[in-house]
Amino acid sequence: MKGLQAQCLTGSVLRTLAVVALVIGALCSGVKTQSPAPAPRAATRIVSLVPSVTEMLFAIGAGSRVIAVSSFDHFPAEVETLPRVGALLDPDTERILSLKPDLVVTYGSQTELDVALHRAGIRTYSYRHGGVDGTLKTMRELGPLTGSEAGANAAAATVQARLDAVRRRVAGRDRPRTLLVFGREHGTLRSIYVAGGVGFMHDLLTIAGATNVFADFKRESAQPSKELLLVRKPDVVLEVQGTQATADASDAIKSWAALGSVPAVRNRRVQAIAGAFLVVPGPRLGEAAETIARAIHPDAF
Amino acid sequence: MSFTAEHVSYAYRRRRAAPIQALDDVNISIPTGSFTGLIGPNGCGKSTLLRLLAGIDRPAGGHVRLDGRDVASYTRREYARRVAVVPQETHPAFDYSVMDMVLMGRHPHLGPFQLEGPADHVEAARALDATHVGHLADRAFTALSGGEKQRVVIASALAQAGEVLLLDEPTASLDLGSQLDVTALLGRLHRERGATMVMATHDLNLAASLCDTLILLRAGRVLGHGPTPDVLTSSSVSALYGVEADVRMHEHAGHLTVVPLRRTPAERHPE
Amino acid sequence: MTAHAAPSAAPASVRLETYRPVRTRLVWSTVGFGLFAVLVCALAPLVGTTHIDLARALDRSIPFADNADAQILLVARLPRVLAGALVGAALAAAGVVFQALLRNPLATPFTLGVSAGASLGAMVVIIFGGAVSVGILSPVPLASLAGAFAASAVVYLLATSPGRAISTTVLLLAGVTLNAFISALILFVQYLADFADVYRAARWLMGDLDVGGFDPIVAALPLLVAAAVGMVFLPSSLNLLSISADTASARGVDVARVQRGAFITGSLATSAAVAVGGPIGFIGIIVPHLVRLMVGSDHRVLLPASALFGAAFLVGCDLLARTVIAPVEIPVGVVTALLGGPFFLWLLVRKS
Repeated sequence: MKGLQAQCLTGSVLRTLAVVALVIGALCSGVKTQSPAPAPRAATRIVSLVPSVTEMLFAIGAGSRVIAVSSFDHFPAEVETLPRVGALLDPDTERILSLKPDLVVTYGSQTELDVALHRAGIRTYSYRHGGVDGTLKTMRELGPLTGSEAGANAAAATVQARLDAVRRRVAGRDRPRTLLVFGREHGTLRSIYVAGGVGFMHDLLTIAGATNVFADFKRESAQPSKELLLVRKPDVVLEVQGTQATADASDAIKSWAALGSVPAVRNRRVQAIAGAFLVVPGPRLGEAAETIARAIHPDAF
Repeated sequence: MSFTAEHVSYAYRRRRAAPIQALDDVNISIPTGSFTGLIGPNGCGKSTLLRLLAGIDRPAGGHVRLDGRDVASYTRREYARRVAVVPQETHPAFDYSVMDMVLMGRHPHLGPFQLEGPADHVEAARALDATHVGHLADRAFTALSGGEKQRVVIASALAQAGEVLLLDEPTASLDLGSQLDVTALLGRLHRERGATMVMATHDLNLAASLCDTLILLRAGRVLGHGPTPDVLTSSSVSALYGVEADVRMHEHAGHLTVVPLRRTPAERHPE
Repeated sequence: MTAHAAPSAAPASVRLETYRPVRTRLVWSTVGFGLFAVLVCALAPLVGTTHIDLARALDRSIPFADNADAQILLVARLPRVLAGALVGAALAAAGVVFQALLRNPLATPFTLGVSAGASLGAMVVIIFGGAVSVGILSPVPLASLAGAFAASAVVYLLATSPGRAISTTVLLLAGVTLNAFISALILFVQYLADFADVYRAARWLMGDLDVGGFDPIVAALPLLVAAAVGMVFLPSSLNLLSISADTASARGVDVARVQRGAFITGSLATSAAVAVGGPIGFIGIIVPHLVRLMVGSDHRVLLPASALFGAAFLVGCDLLARTVIAPVEIPVGVVTALLGGPFFLWLLVRKS
């Protein structure tokens, strides 16, 4: 009799423990900062804090569903009339919530914002910079999320095709050692920022038929000293002027002249290209690759 | 040598308040070779008067004259060669040696880019000997005791100027033993060198022990002046401080002493 | 009046023998530190991550534009070393001057807000653009100078009344307050900026001596020379001023003029240094203290020695910065900070 009672007691204790464990497990998984279970319906009210994703949304055909953008969005023209909700450092959570979105595109590092939005039951799409492949993948991922799967795949395919076209154009040619400069203090050779061996700029260079002089730097950007530049001896110096509409190489040519032993300077291959599409990895990557390729292999076009 | 203040007045300006009149029509004459004490309660203007005598500040009205010439007509260096100041406390921001501190007294004797020479070193050594701190020459000034520091500062003043020595509460920060040492030193210096010394102090006994002449100041005005025995009386102490005191010659100390007894009952302190 | 009872001569002369007169100390220290500085500055351009063939670099027969070794030596390294020497000397000297002026061994050339003003000027141009150049002064150094001058002017006006001595308390308060205010403005400007610009701005604040040419140095030279000339008149007065303003005045020093001179020359030197290399910290406080340990506190010896040692010290720090984890460069301000922190701790421990 006693043994049976003991068995029953143990059994009930175990059962209780099991239930408690399940409850705790459920609670814990609820606390994790992941998006609530995928909504069955596509998003119809989208807020985007990331300019490159905004461009993608418009390119895949979901532009009409974008209701607000970041402070730094300028493309396409339609976004100029949309309300602004801040950006990476200063997202306006209240404003975002007041617009009642069902999808918010955030930066990967904006974890607190994600938590706040999830608490309000709003889905987020966390964006991280990747190379060219990463951009195309993002474009495709946005399809199901926004109910524009066909548009997304088509847009991604278009970009891919354009990139492939550039690759074919420059195939078989010599790949000049190129320095891709995206920042430099005007009038001087100070604070030079170049593309490292990782990221979309490096990928674009490769597609455009050049070799990145800093391909061995496993970071997206580098800040080389004058000495390092003289040692690396790039054949082409390509300055990307992302904030300007038209390229102006005059300051670049004048400033780089100080490093006369660099082949790019000797052979007058210090060049400039301009346009925001060059620094925002989105649907205009094809155009960016083409522009860079034209600068590097002018005779191929 | 004559050293006088004629119709001197000075006021401290304040923002959004009436200026404080520190000195009002003060006329004094420091007898040559005397040891004159400026005494009076806090705020009577004795420190201000001393600063004017030192040339650190300029009077708002009236003149301070050394040998008949207005202080302002001397160059700073010229005046500093004749008149030196010993402040109450000296806190250098950095570590200087005792010798450094004393040699700094030679500054007014040097040209703009001139460095100290052997003559200056001799003067400094003499001053150190006179104040009995020669053995401390290599020590760091900040490591000394209060009394030793004051003696070094006095040595520095001696190296600077031999004619007139102005002292502002020279023993106020010192303990009893050091007070005795410095007092004795000052007395001896006065006897040996015959320099004119002017000391501002609130310590009546100190004044009585060292000074042969006293100037009494209250609320920026001169209440009395003259030889110490004539001027330092219980009635003058009462007029200055509102305190009844016993003033008598102390047979062991050899000078007048002042022992405060009680506040004068009828007097309400004006402030 | 001369002293009557003359002290015995023998003890005095014995004491004098153990005392090294300032003339001797000045000569030895200037020559010693001078040689050290020259040595460091002569060797530094020859040291680096890339091996240069010195013979080839100096070979005049090879056209300069083709001679990579010559270019590395003369375009990359030499201007950098020269900039380091000038900036190091300027900041160290300014540190000595400000410490005496403020009567505070913890004062730095940046205490009174000069560097904050310079940083704000540079930030504004880096973040909001602006391609205004004046002669060989490019936009960022130009804006940095403008900011530095503006900040110094504000502090000067706040702290001085005509003809009167400056109260060090008021000066310190004015400077520290302005510093705090401008720092808040800098944060605000960064907040308004694009992500990439914020990074560029933050990077500028860490200091950079890689000038890549002699232009920035030449542009800063008039200011540095003016500051140096002014500083030559200060040292003996600074000794007295560092005891107290009244003591200095009573010893024949024109306190008001010396204070203004110290403030202006210190600010000029700091402004020029920050315009060339950004706000490199800790030089202005480590070097005066280190040199004081070696030569004492007499400013007539301390000021030139600190300038010389500061030059060598910063060139050394920059050498470390560009070679330790090559090819990545550590910003030179980070190196000086890494050295400065422990140094301070050591100073504190030693004092207590």
